[in-house]
Amino acid sequence: MSEKLFAYLRDDGRWGLRNNVLVLPLHSALASSARTIADTSDGAVAISHDWSGEIDSDLTRILFTLSGYASNPNNYAVVFLIIGSAEEKSIIDGAQALGLKNFTVLSLPEIGSLEKLQSDALVVANKYVVEAKSQKRIEAPWSAIVLGLECGGSDALSGITANPALGVASDRLVELGATSVLGETTEILGAEHLLAARAIDPEVGKRIVAMVSRYEASINYEGIDIRGAQPSRGNIEGGLSTLEEKSLGAAKKAGNAPLTGVLEFGERPLTPGLYFMDTPGHDIEQLAGFGAGHINVVVFTSGRGTPTGSAIMPTIKVSTNTPMYSAIPDLIDLDAGTIADGIETLAQVGDRIFDEIIEVANGKLTKAERGGHHEFALSRMYKTVIGEYQ
Amino acid sequence: MRKILILDSRDNIAVCLVDLEIGDTVEQDDISIKVLNRIPRGHKIATQVISKNDGVIKYGERMGHAVAPIAIGEHVHVHNILGDRLSSAQS
Repeated sequence: MSEKLFAYLRDDGRWGLRNNVLVLPLHSALASSARTIADTSDGAVAISHDWSGEIDSDLTRILFTLSGYASNPNNYAVVFLIIGSAEEKSIIDGAQALGLKNFTVLSLPEIGSLEKLQSDALVVANKYVVEAKSQKRIEAPWSAIVLGLECGGSDALSGITANPALGVASDRLVELGATSVLGETTEILGAEHLLAARAIDPEVGKRIVAMVSRYEASINYEGIDIRGAQPSRGNIEGGLSTLEEKSLGAAKKAGNAPLTGVLEFGERPLTPGLYFMDTPGHDIEQLAGFGAGHINVVVFTSGRGTPTGSAIMPTIKVSTNTPMYSAIPDLIDLDAGTIADGIETLAQVGDRIFDEIIEVANGKLTKAERGGHHEFALSRMYKTVIGEYQ
Repeated sequence: MRKILILDSRDNIAVCLVDLEIGDTVEQDDISIKVLNRIPRGHKIATQVISKNDGVIKYGERMGHAVAPIAIGEHVHVHNILGDRLSSAQS
């Protein structure tokens, strides 16, 4: 296997592992149009979301997510579909500020017809697809990889198979100079002091502890005590003895590397190293946060299996147990269950995950990409405030 | 076929990959452990002597501490260890 990376260089020095043309509706009413345009195009992709431009209590978070997602280095160009609000303009301005160069804005009120909007968008999208296909990958440094670490549908084996094996791969990449980002604040509850102890300086350590406390306070506000009941009775029957052990099992996706920094939801890591990002446990919202934070490849470990994928980031699925891998081979890229069966060691599976990340970074399609799984969901801290569209 | 999984060389416990019975012997790589209790698959076995109040190390990190002395080959679980964070709340 080649241990060299080949990627798409952007004007501002960032690297893309894909060369997507993204059709991005900035109002939920244009979501179906965006899908239609992408489906009839020569290879553009689209996402849909439920935000209709109302003045949401999470407005800043939503605008930031969409700006970041549009400017992800995996995107060659973006076709924005808008309905003409100030918020939509601020998303586009934000994307430009974050590095988006190639884009076209198509406004429904200016064009005056949905049919014409779609046909205009199709022409533009196809033009971008031709340009994107003509751009060549060139040899890239290890820092071109910005890996997102995710787990969903965990089982009793997650903490001893897929997660620590992914940690082996993550550590190797960080050692080489890549970036790796751990998310899911819910999952590290109880292990935050252990991650803080690995921080490169005390300030970073304090920030991760503060971030988890903030999350805990927000849960307590809702009247749920998540820490008191951990590990659960089922966890104890499965062999987990302490909350730290359970959270370490999830946090081990990030191996043992020093913690370089802490990121807010959707914030970009600016230097290589291992980071923690404050994301919700909901897989698809977390993927949106990773996309907004300019992560360009994701490894997703799962015990129950999931078809989840992203329109812009290749997502490599790793099973924690072999029966699940055998049951849905069209959804899962790699099996780590061999560790629990004593067939392979953690290091061997970690090396397989590492090799797969490099191959996927270099263009090999993941099963989620081949299946066309393009999930997206906006993350909100608060309940949606219904407002009039202006 | 391996019977236990050591997640990190610094660990003083291993995870059982099969149900272990009293008197079983685990011989793997350069270790040999006589099993002292019945230990279900997925549960932990001590690979080193752990004194009372010593840290229990898994993944190379401290996941809690012993509340009783633990011998090599003994089942390590909620009856003889406690998390560091919640000990005050639980006692």
